[in-house]
Amino acid sequence: MASLPYRDNTSRPSNYGRGGDDDEDEDEEEADESGFKSSKDAVLFAIDVSESMLTRPTDGDEKKSDAVLSPTLAALKCAYALMQQRIMSNPSDMMGILLFGTEKSKFQEGDEETGRGGLRYPHCYLLTDLDIPAAADVKQLRSMVEEEEEAADLLVASKEEVSMANLLFCANQIFTTKAPNFSTRRLFLVTDNDFPHASNRDARNSAAVRAKALYDLGVTIELFPISHPDRGYTFDRSKFYNDIVYSASPSDPDAPAPLTADIKPASSTAKDGISLLQALLSSVASRSAPRRSMFSHMPFEIGPGLKISVKGFILIKRQEPKRTSYIYVPPDSDKPQIVTGVGQLVADDTARTVEKAEVRRAYKFGGETVSFSDAELAKIKNFGDPVIRIIGFKPLSMLPVWAQPKQNYFIYPSEEDFVGSTRVFSALHQKLLRDQKMAIAWFIARRNANPTLIALIPGREQRSDGGEQIMPPGLWIKHLPFADDIRAPPETEMVKAPDPLIDAMRTVVQQLQLPKAVYDPGKYPNPGLQWFYRILQALALEEDLPEKAEDKTLPKWKQIHKRAGPYVVEWGKVLEEQYRVWQKENDRQPRIMANGGAKRAGGAAPAASNGRSAKKAKADDGGDAGEGGITDAEMRAAFAKDAVGKFTVADLKGWMQGKGIKAGTKKAEIVDAVNGWHETKMETD
Amino acid sequence: MASKEATVYIVDCGSTMSERSHGRKQTNLDFALEYVWDRITATVATGRKTAMVGVVGLRTDGTRNDLEGEEDYAHITVFQDISQMLMSQVRKLRNDLVLSSTEGGDAISAIIVAIQMIAKECKKLKYERKIVLVTDARGPMQTDDLGDIITKLKEDDIQLVVIGVDFDDAEYGFKEESKDATKAENEAGLKQLCNDCGGAFGTLVQAVDELGIPRVKSTKPVPSYKGFLTLGNPELYESAMAIDIERYPKVMAATTPSASKYVVRSDMGDATQSNMTMNGEDGQNGSYDGLAAVKNAMTYQVEDTNAPGGKRDVDRDELSKGYEYGRTAVHIAESDRNVTTYETTPGLDVIGFVDKNQYERYLDMSRSNLIIAQRNNEKASMALSSFIHALYELDSYGVARLVPKENKEPRTILLAPIIEPDFECLYDIELPFAEDMRSYKFPPLDRVVTVSGKEIEVHRNLPNDDLQDAISDYVDSMDLSTFGKDDEGASTEYMPMDETYAPMLHRIHQVIKHRAVFADAEPPPPYEILTRYSHTPDELVRKAQPALDRVLEAANIKRVPHKARGRRGRKEAPKPLSELDIGALLAQDPKRKHKRIDPKNAIAEFRQLIIQAEEDSAVRDACTQLKNIVFEWIRHSVGNSGYGRALEAIRVLREEMVDLETPAIYNEIMQELRTKLLAGDLGEGRGEMRYHVVTKKLGLIKASDLPGGATDDEVSKWRAAG
Repeated sequence: MASLPYRDNTSRPSNYGRGGDDDEDEDEEEADESGFKSSKDAVLFAIDVSESMLTRPTDGDEKKSDAVLSPTLAALKCAYALMQQRIMSNPSDMMGILLFGTEKSKFQEGDEETGRGGLRYPHCYLLTDLDIPAAADVKQLRSMVEEEEEAADLLVASKEEVSMANLLFCANQIFTTKAPNFSTRRLFLVTDNDFPHASNRDARNSAAVRAKALYDLGVTIELFPISHPDRGYTFDRSKFYNDIVYSASPSDPDAPAPLTADIKPASSTAKDGISLLQALLSSVASRSAPRRSMFSHMPFEIGPGLKISVKGFILIKRQEPKRTSYIYVPPDSDKPQIVTGVGQLVADDTARTVEKAEVRRAYKFGGETVSFSDAELAKIKNFGDPVIRIIGFKPLSMLPVWAQPKQNYFIYPSEEDFVGSTRVFSALHQKLLRDQKMAIAWFIARRNANPTLIALIPGREQRSDGGEQIMPPGLWIKHLPFADDIRAPPETEMVKAPDPLIDAMRTVVQQLQLPKAVYDPGKYPNPGLQWFYRILQALALEEDLPEKAEDKTLPKWKQIHKRAGPYVVEWGKVLEEQYRVWQKENDRQPRIMANGGAKRAGGAAPAASNGRSAKKAKADDGGDAGEGGITDAEMRAAFAKDAVGKFTVADLKGWMQGKGIKAGTKKAEIVDAVNGWHETKMETD
Repeated sequence: MASKEATVYIVDCGSTMSERSHGRKQTNLDFALEYVWDRITATVATGRKTAMVGVVGLRTDGTRNDLEGEEDYAHITVFQDISQMLMSQVRKLRNDLVLSSTEGGDAISAIIVAIQMIAKECKKLKYERKIVLVTDARGPMQTDDLGDIITKLKEDDIQLVVIGVDFDDAEYGFKEESKDATKAENEAGLKQLCNDCGGAFGTLVQAVDELGIPRVKSTKPVPSYKGFLTLGNPELYESAMAIDIERYPKVMAATTPSASKYVVRSDMGDATQSNMTMNGEDGQNGSYDGLAAVKNAMTYQVEDTNAPGGKRDVDRDELSKGYEYGRTAVHIAESDRNVTTYETTPGLDVIGFVDKNQYERYLDMSRSNLIIAQRNNEKASMALSSFIHALYELDSYGVARLVPKENKEPRTILLAPIIEPDFECLYDIELPFAEDMRSYKFPPLDRVVTVSGKEIEVHRNLPNDDLQDAISDYVDSMDLSTFGKDDEGASTEYMPMDETYAPMLHRIHQVIKHRAVFADAEPPPPYEILTRYSHTPDELVRKAQPALDRVLEAANIKRVPHKARGRRGRKEAPKPLSELDIGALLAQDPKRKHKRIDPKNAIAEFRQLIIQAEEDSAVRDACTQLKNIVFEWIRHSVGNSGYGRALEAIRVLREEMVDLETPAIYNEIMQELRTKLLAGDLGEGRGEMRYHVVTKKLGLIKASDLPGGATDDEVSKWRAAG
């Protein structure tokens, strides 16, 4: 219980009172990449509410409700979607929504009372103040996008042009007061007006000055421009926006120029079947996570004396569902409260408070401890400075498919320490791609981190049909397992399939290629995670709980049956024949081992044609369990006779595995669990 | 579970072991103990109660053994009966295993004592039995008529290992010249004994040498899934395939021992005296070494506007479980605990097949497993074999959905076939889901795309033909695929994975084992093999040098001089995409004429003043202005509401001062801040603000980081509260 996390403490604005985390902690024994950098992101959506932004597209497909959204509403929907997503995936990040060009004006809560907010930032309406969203914010936004009356009142364009300088300063103040010291702060600007203050150079210049202030403050402006092909209007950045958008993001001065070619102005008409909303969503999605490096200034030693610098990123990382936290339900209210925990180091024997300086590190050994001074430990763990050092090269084919102890990192050159890094990296990247080679390297990620051996494999740039980059070019760090990490396979006897059987299976495989013969992760949302998100959201927003989960990882049974079914049946027949031949040749009793193998392969098991599970089919064969353990049929029979206890603990455990039955270690408990399992099964049967 | 073990070490402590042979600095006994201690401490490190050790001293001054009545068994002392070895025993043995002043004591008798010890302890139970004799073979030995011993060793299935100080070993390549005649005779006798009973016989140099090659712990395979591999749905369709399979981990990172947190017990005086006391008393639960475990005690708080400080402590018992949905807490009652679980049934279902050659290896996630047919199920084996071969022949991989246990979250995995002469299986690796992909964009590496969308082929960031050629030659000349040598001396792969060892894992084991025995000694240097693969082998470097020289020339890499980035005047003001000169616009701005920082826009205007500053006085003025603004923020902060802004401004101030290499200005301001905070000049109860300044790396700029910075003494004074 003591280890139950209340909240990732690095994400808390205040760490005050904790054990003290001054200077770099050298204790990185269990540190994984999460230890590299903890950072928070704040996104403020600024959505234009002009007449043209409120106009629905004329040629939209009326049947699709998405296609007839006004650009403003599409942007709001997009913000709503992003808020729902970020509240789950980035629980400590902030978000806000600012409408501009509205008839009404509203600023932060405190200002409203004095009525000054409206005066200070006319035609800016702060719909959701910048903060970690709460359920109420999501609900408010939901009613905006789902109930037109709600929105109609607010979504009225001002007759007077909003001052861009003022808007930018308004954003500046929101970031300054609500999200100080955030590692990334971004203004998402959605508009279809490429030339505000068209006739007023001074106004444009003041906007440019205010934009510079945002840049100096460390705020990045991300532009989401909208074109209207139906009105013959194409958004032109050069008129105004190139004066307020900067190439390098201030928090990451070395970031390459934005791939402007990739950011197509979203179209308000659904000409190519993609609605404005979809285009906006995908554009926002691709920029929703601020790019953060996992390590930078990393020396990349390609050879003795040949050193360049690179940055490392995590491009693929398993998104895990949230862990439970402690919450407090006050006795006099049903409104639960978030609990913050404060940790304090105490000695186990006397429970006295311990200062960090007193803490020593020791290893358990032989019933006692073996200890080292900090200086000794630092020396022991020191295998040199952080580096990626190439030892040599091997063909990619020498990297076995199973060599995968942990997730991969991505590296990309940086000119920050060595001018010329990019061109050398590029040459190496091209060579490795061309010859399908990999570099083998020695890698120390941080000071005193575990040294590892890695393969650097080249990754080709990939773009979608629309020209959008989906995979960047660079080198991937693939950790290599050490001898210590490689497990031996269990002892087993192999029976090689005879050629006719392989031929039959080959036909099956050929029927079932995935589209383009590749695995596209984008097509498979994590069903468990999505289910968790939906439930949590329903609970938080007091919605009805969903009945059924959407699971795209479930195979398309019907298609498989239609396309490959006959061939599988054929394979099943061949298997029966070949297996009989094999038994004869190897002098085996036909019945004894008959319970295994491929079941339900069409005519192979006609007795089991009642459409139930393969497990039942196995029961019908009724063979001897042999070393393979207890069959379901045997267990069921034993259960019926109340004789589950006749099996050994090892056999019972073997059978329980795969059924997901849990029990203690005592035999009585295990027998109870097995009996219990059968009882519930009987009820549902 | 590993099987039970009983090992008896017989250590020769005779007076001849005091010699320092063959130019070694340590005595032969210390040399022998290097081996013995390594083996014993390796056993201690496992922490297994069933890994038992006995220790017998040979040629000791005293005599203590079960057969001590007989003359033949004199000068043999049982130092430790077969039992689990703990630190206290290690300490005791340290005092026991010392040089004696006798030459008497028969090694063969010692072996008999050891056999008796094992027989007594292990009876007829299942044990791995082993006797390890380390000797210089210079004591008297009755080597005739060893038949009974050989029979007994074989009968009880005891493995005998004899390791001799400077024994000859042709295979290892060691021969002792001018060997003492007794020794030669004894050596031959022991060798014969080992041959006859199927034991092992070796020379100590080799044994000590091989201590540097880490032993890999083998783990019993435990299935990570047992069930069917299905294609199609057997519940719905007749045409579905189901094969009984088992899945086992293939790669699983071995864990490095981790240190726990301790504190010196309050009832113990000397903090440095941790684990060395000479008498062998038994310590319980780590209390012996004077350390108490440290744990993290949690207190819990909720916001309460009525409470002082806005927060109120709540007891752990009052808390329930739930989730955070943004700022909103969601309570999940005990009875609804399963509501967030996505219900699944175990299974491994094929989704479809992909082209092996189009599969991008970087998609691999997490650890790999292997899939074989259910054991002892030949039909399943044959069925799976056809699947493996079909994938192999079609250059395809399978993609499948795996639920290893009931109600576990489904994963998508890649199924890759492998066919070896007597082994075939599917390897599987987890694949990413949509949520796991982060779309970060990076410019192309083979061309430069400008802001206007133009593609350029010649650019300083792109390699020219010379560089491309040079790199290509270099990569080819640094080939490792044939650089290694196998046992026969033929070319083979250099540093294959099964010859590389986790450096930190074995390093930590090494120093713990060493410290356990030699508490006062410096930790030894790492084994050579742990750092062997941290550099390219010299021979290869020499071979590749000409190509490397060409790369260096063509690459023309220049290190960015330290701090060159920031010097005043050299830094170019950032420009927007249009390259509009914002500086000029700012200069025209009447509001900025007086160079007064607007507190509302403090950070931006401060940065702008700094970049425009032409004299030190202007820099100093800007800093003073920002300082005053920061002080105001702190003074007017309600609780900690103004701290964030203040900290941000201090961070920016520090960055700019480091860039300008003017640490003194920053340090002065921080000294003033410290004084004011401690004196309460910026309001009462500003302890939290001070805590942040001290802990968030905003302290004084040190002289070691930047010339003109603060001394270590000043830094620690500044950090101190008093």
